[in-house]
Amino acid sequence: MIDQLSPSPDSKEYNFYFGPAHAGSGNFGVKLIIEGEKVVRARSDPGYLHRGFEKLMEYRMPLQNAVLSDRICILESLNWNLIHAEAVDELMNIEVPERARYIRVIMAELSRIQSHIIWFGVFSKATGFDTGFKVAFGYRDYILDLFEMITGGRVYPAGYICPGGVRRDLPENAPDRIRKVLNKMDEMIDLEQLENSTLHSRTKGIGVLKLEDAIRLGATGPVIRGSGMRTDVRKDDPYEVYDRFDFDVPVRKEGDAYARYQIGIEELRESVKIIKQALKDLPDGDAIAPEFKKPRLNAKIPEGEVYIRNEISRGEAGMYMVSDGGTNPYRVKIRGPSFLHMIPVLEYLFKGVQIADVPAIYWSLNICPADLDR
Amino acid sequence: MASKVESILKKIDSRFDVEVKVKRDNEAWLSIDNENLIDICGSLKDKGFVHLSAISVVDWIKEGKYEVIYHLWSYKDKMLLNLKTRIDREKPAIDSVIPIWDSNAQIHEREMHELFGLKFRGNPDLAPLFLEDWNGPPTFRKDFDWRKYVRENYYDKNNEREAAYYD
Repeated sequence: MIDQLSPSPDSKEYNFYFGPAHAGSGNFGVKLIIEGEKVVRARSDPGYLHRGFEKLMEYRMPLQNAVLSDRICILESLNWNLIHAEAVDELMNIEVPERARYIRVIMAELSRIQSHIIWFGVFSKATGFDTGFKVAFGYRDYILDLFEMITGGRVYPAGYICPGGVRRDLPENAPDRIRKVLNKMDEMIDLEQLENSTLHSRTKGIGVLKLEDAIRLGATGPVIRGSGMRTDVRKDDPYEVYDRFDFDVPVRKEGDAYARYQIGIEELRESVKIIKQALKDLPDGDAIAPEFKKPRLNAKIPEGEVYIRNEISRGEAGMYMVSDGGTNPYRVKIRGPSFLHMIPVLEYLFKGVQIADVPAIYWSLNICPADLDR
Repeated sequence: MASKVESILKKIDSRFDVEVKVKRDNEAWLSIDNENLIDICGSLKDKGFVHLSAISVVDWIKEGKYEVIYHLWSYKDKMLLNLKTRIDREKPAIDSVIPIWDSNAQIHEREMHELFGLKFRGNPDLAPLFLEDWNGPPTFRKDFDWRKYVRENYYDKNNEREAAYYD
């Protein structure tokens, strides 16, 4: 589509690149066609982070893929671990122990909190509120310390949530330390909620996405909730033990960048609530299914297919896995929420905005180029 | 008692030949003929399946078929429906579902076109997404071996470090 890619020759339009090698866009390029200060149209240019995970997984066994699944999105590796583990569990018909299910929920929610914290960090930075950025990344370190203690890795847990349960049980002092970090998170949420006029003037009424457009463009997660749809996979189609916890799904009607930002803040509180309940009810027992206690490298995956949906911090994540009875999956398809948010939604929202609003809209969608490019 | 998903499926037009497999109370897998795709998708969207979660393609190379899977979600009934249809692998072409799911379908089809070489009839923009300046075969086809391609094009058998990748 040449006419979408280039400025028309008889106009005052010109090209403006936002990314891909840019600290403010995160390994992702958007080509903007600009006239004066206004964006006439935008064209997303993905591929900078394409590693071909879906194909790589066809060459590997589930135990190896569990480690590989960390890398699908750097910012919330544990959630992607969980999706992969669930897909294999369902294909192999494994009964996951209760304790492992609770640990999985705790880890997934901790991962959601730190991912949302990064979102506030970059969003604050994009709207010229540098204090927010520093507060966020400072507090994120408390959670990374927990990850290091529990999984051994700060950012990449190396397949901590693996088929059959979790790779190792929580250390004895973990519940207390997690509770201490949750108190720190409450403190941070109060700090991040400090309203200031810079934030208001740069986000209110900016990047408005109506509900019908959100559905048409395939938006999910905080983006569609910011436009007024009450939907959350954890509530609508509960996986693991989410149906046992009491939490709300925050919704806003405005559909602008500010609404999405507020949804994120409220979701942090809900995640803290879930972890507290899970820690209270944490049962005793094994943390991994008996058949996976000793890693079996050549375990065959029974023939079948499965589509798993999870709610990760960015929206709806999916994994379609097919097995033909061999040791490796026959085909894996990964559905990242950013795939829709960064191409159709972004191109739609950029039409007709001012250049100065581009970063605010871009980061209000809570995007991750890694799960788009895969 | 019929489950929730069965009562929904009953409402789908009985004109079509549909093979149904109910997996859970709110999940079903449907196999259909690709000629009825647009009609069935249209009636499913009217029944509330407004969210196209993903489009996947599986390359069944031994049978000479591509399988295209549409993963649909209904916000109203909270139900997952997976619509499967098979097409010929040699000249893979299928009708685009843009008239039904609009931009959402467009981008998924564009991805599958790049990775598997499927033609989506009626999709106006099938430009590559991920691979720049790529002239080889669609990379996710089963008969395209990444490792072999890298050995042939980028590695050197006489290089001490890379020799390990040759048998």
